[in-house]
Parts: sequence; C-alpha cells; structure tokens
Amino acid sequence: MASKEEILSKLRQNVRSEKFAMPDLSNVRGIHFADKTAAFIKMSEAQGAKVEILPPDGHVDDIIRRTFPDAKSIVSNLSGITSATKNQDDTKSVYTLEDTDVTVCEGVLGVCENACVWVPQRTRQRAAYFICENLVILLDRACLVDNMHEAYRRLETENIDWGCFISGPSKTADIEQALVLGAQSARSVLVILI
Amino acid sequence: MSAHAKKAVEFQRNAADAEGHDRAVYAVRAKRDAAARAIADDWENLRTLASDIKRHTITHLDVYAEKFAANAEKNGIHTHWARDAADFNAIVLEILRRHAVRKLVKSKSMLTEECGMNTFLAENGIEVVETDLGERIIQLMGLAPSHIVMPAIHIKRERVGRLFEEKLGSEKGNHDPTYLTRQARIHLRHAFLEADAGLTGANFAVADHGGVVVCTNEGNADMSASCPKLHIACVGLEKIVPDLASLGVFTRLLARSGTGQPTTVYTSHFFHPRPDGELHIVIVDNGRSEILANRTHWETLKCLRCGACMNTCPVYRRSGGYSYSGTIPGPIGINLGMLRDPHANAGNVSACTLCASCDNVCPAKVDLSTQIYRWRQDLATLGVADPMKRLMSSGMHFLFTHPALYVAAQRLSPLLNALPRPLVYNRLNAWGRGHELPRFPKKSFARLLNEGIV
Repeated sequence: MASKEEILSKLRQNVRSEKFAMPDLSNVRGIHFADKTAAFIKMSEAQGAKVEILPPDGHVDDIIRRTFPDAKSIVSNLSGITSATKNQDDTKSVYTLEDTDVTVCEGVLGVCENACVWVPQRTRQRAAYFICENLVILLDRACLVDNMHEAYRRLETENIDWGCFISGPSKTADIEQALVLGAQSARSVLVILI
Repeated sequence: MSAHAKKAVEFQRNAADAEGHDRAVYAVRAKRDAAARAIADDWENLRTLASDIKRHTITHLDVYAEKFAANAEKNGIHTHWARDAADFNAIVLEILRRHAVRKLVKSKSMLTEECGMNTFLAENGIEVVETDLGERIIQLMGLAPSHIVMPAIHIKRERVGRLFEEKLGSEKGNHDPTYLTRQARIHLRHAFLEADAGLTGANFAVADHGGVVVCTNEGNADMSASCPKLHIACVGLEKIVPDLASLGVFTRLLARSGTGQPTTVYTSHFFHPRPDGELHIVIVDNGRSEILANRTHWETLKCLRCGACMNTCPVYRRSGGYSYSGTIPGPIGINLGMLRDPHANAGNVSACTLCASCDNVCPAKVDLSTQIYRWRQDLATLGVADPMKRLMSSGMHFLFTHPALYVAAQRLSPLLNALPRPLVYNRLNAWGRGHELPRFPKKSFARLLNEGIV
C-alpha cells in the first residue's frame, strides 16, 4: 500500500488552495410529465422496448406465453411465475444459462424522461439479466418517477449492492452508425406495468 | 507543417471516406443538439451543476479519493492504487496471475488504452478480448480507436465484412451491419463464457458508496462483469464524484452529449462484489495528480469523456482521429496530450480554428479552446514552436507596429491579385499551403473613409 500513501500525499500537496463549494442538489427539479405512464411508454418505445399494462384480472404468465410462444427456456427466481422453466439461483455456473430465451425479473423504479428501469441484484446470477435473448421486467406503475434526480433520491434509501438502469434492448451503431438492436446482451425488452 | 496537418493530408487523400467521416460524426452532433433541446429548460443548469460538482470534487480530491477507497474496502471490494501506467499494468497482471487467468474479456476503457495494457498483457501470455463491437473490430485489425466513444467510426462496412470473413468465418461478401453484429454477438458469447476474468473501465466512482458506475449500450460491460467470477474495474482519479445526487446530474448529460441518446441502455452500479465473486478496483493516477497542480489547465480534469467536443470539431471531423498524436484525439485530446508530454504532442495544437464550438457543447464546461490557445502561447517557451510560424509572426509584428510601412503595403497589395499563381503560392509562402488569399480591394477601408465614401 506504499503507492496509496504516495498518491494521497501527492493529492494533498497538489490540490488547489482555492476551494469550490458543492452545489446544492437537493432541490434540482428537472423535467416533469403530466401523465407519467404515457410518458414512460412513449420513451420506452423510442428506445426499442415494449410496454404492456397488466389488465386488472390478467396474469403475467399469460403475457409471457403469448409474447414468446416458442420460448423453451424461461428463467426466473420470482415466485408466482409459473411459465418459468428454471431458477437461476439453483445454478452455480453461468454455462447453464447460455440458451436462455427469456428472463423474467423485477424492477423497482421506472424513469419517465429516459425509460430507465432500476433492476437490483436480488439473485446469485445476475448474468441471467444479460445473457438472455429476451428480458421481461415487471414494474409497479406506482414506482414511476419523472427524472434521474428523483430516481437517485429514491435510491438513497435502497441498500445497493449492485443495480442497473436498463432502458431497452442492447444496441450498437459501431458499424457505420447503422443502428442494430441486440448487440452483446438481450435483444428485446418487455416491461410489464403492474 | 505541423505533425497533425501532415497526417490530415493523408486522411483527406481518400475524399469519399473523409467526407463520409465528416457526415457521420456531424450527424451525432446533430443528435446531441436534439437531445439537449428535448430538455431545454434543464440543459444549461445541468451543465453549470456538472461543472460546479467537478470543480468541488477536484479541489477536494484528496478527501474524496480516500473516502472512496475506504468505503469500497468496507463493501468487501479489493482496492489497489497505481502511480503510473507501469504500476497499473503490473497490478492487473498480478491479480490475473493469482487467479490463473488465461483469457480476459474487456469492455472499453480509454484508461487502459492510455496505459498500453492490452499489449502488455498479451506479452505476458494473457489472451485479451475486447467486447465492445467497435473496439473488437479495431482490435482484430490491429489498430487503435480513432474516437473515444465510436472507436471504429472511420471504418466502412465492407472492410468489417472482409475482416469477419477472415477472422470469424462469416459469409463471403455479406457486409450487412445487422448480419455482422449478429456474427460478433455469437463470437463474443463464447468469449464471455470461456473467460476467467472481466475487466471494465468506469464512468463514475461514487465516493459515498465506494463503488463504480459503468455505462454501455451493448451490455458488454455487464456480460464481462457477470459471467466470469472475477471483475476488475479500473478508474482514473478524475472519475470520482461525491454522491448519488451527483449521478443524477451526470447521467442526464453523458449520453445526451456523447451520442444524443436520453440515456445509455445500461447504467450499471457495482457497489459490492457479487455473490461468489470477487471485485477489484484499481485507482489510477498516471499524471492526474500533476494536472491538479497546473494553475492554467487543472479544469481539464472535469472532462467526462463523452466525445461531444470531437463530434462538433470542424478540424476533427475533417482530419480523423489518427491525425492526432497521443491516445485521445479532438479538442480534449489536444489538451490532455500537452499535459502528458508537450514535446511529443505539440504537433496537435494547431488543429484548432478557435471557433469555440467545443466549449459550447462540453457538458462539464471545460474551456477547451481557451486552453488550446494558451498552449499555443507557451510553444516558444517549451521550445516546440514552428520556426516558420515564428518568423511570420515577427514579420507581422514589425508590419503592424510601423504604420507608414503598413499603409504602403496596403496600397501595393492589389498588385498581388495580378501576379501569376506560382509567384504567390510557392515554397516560400508556407501560409499559402491550404489557405487561399482573399482578393485585395483597390482602395482600403481607411482610404474610403478618408475620402468620405463610407
């Protein structure tokens, strides 16, 4: 740890005597939407994701079976997902998740300004969220916020070990700026608003 | 002619490719404008906040760096400190060796480019696979990235098609971007599953939480950090931000500025090691603590590495990333290059028209063009000024401080219009290379004024 002390003492020595104050971020308001659900759906679709609203008497499994009729491997560790063929927490090796058609997971927060959904770890194998062909995220409609300032304010109270804002399918424009959905991670994302 | 100008001539030799590059990069700038306009009421306030947060963090970097590392350790993350590139490479190799790693998947990191890590690891028997599509294309071609966010922006689809035919066994003559992306997906899937470790950079390091945030569109950083059990994240000291509220500001600016998206697809927060996994964070100085002490240029440390300054730069767009020396091209690269090694990188400082467009798009309000201007003032002191330009400057100084001579020269100037081209544009007139003289009017403005005409 010699270099730690060396670097820190160099920082202490070189840091400017002129100090700048931290701006107050507690009241940054940011963009707001009159109809949060409509705004979230519109933005998600612009990002290439799909959104379905669960009808009052509907069931998530019905939507999953209807949307992915050919899916052989459906992975989830959520209770009550009867369509699931595998629980990722039962496996020690990511190899067994290689051919996952659909992963079903839970989001805890949706952001209207950019379609981000906060997906916390809540699993031993978070690879399940990325290695799948299609990702389904369940999200409570009451958990939509307007913008990232509000989102991070909510996250202050969460115990974050790992978490990811996911806003749609994996994409790239690395070949001549041509947009292609489905780069290294999920090729489609379906958010089911509950 | 500066080193940059010479290479720019090379780049311009293929006019169609050069024009394509200009158009592709400017399209990203236009997308950035639309994204900023979509939240126009917030935009300038966000830029001011971003600049203020960075100024605060940088002027308290000793405190925040220590806090970040202490919190990371508390979370069960192994932290390492690297003074320079050699230190950094050695630390990473040591971690890899301890875990008997043979194959490493890697998501894009300009810090590892800066430190020449891939070459070093390869020399030490580690197979390194870049997993960002653009970065993988560049790696398979044996090239360096020409842009910090779009590393293969200068490469045509046909070349990628031929490359994949040869290296990945894809169909002959198929250069459809969707097909090629699919081929890369299959190829990289194997790499993620076979690799013994994943290495990522970091966009932000959150002091309050002792963890890092990584933003990608492809999901390759998450695959790299979720498939193998060992994850190494590398973070330059300037990436440290105080808290989650700061991320609220930066995540709103980063993708909008860089690619014109409202957000990157994935914004991943690594605050603890994953179950059954190990997380190492290497905190790298490599000259950053020196920049801190630089009275004129310390605000370069505010940079978020979004790439907006290169997308808007008229010189970058028309000369391409390879015309610049050093790791990073464009306006920010000119400045970082001079801070790293002014003698090696002085050839870049003329690659600026001082139009200040970069200053206006920078999400952290780095005064890029002013800083480039200041570097130019220092060239003579640094002993790297172009002797021809110095000669021309002292000539101009003499002319402009001798009014009688100036007036006489002005009266004679229309004669230049009539001279045959070779007499005006020749080896003696270095300025005339790449510049066209205006037509000199018969009467100067001063004369028109004196004669009561204007």
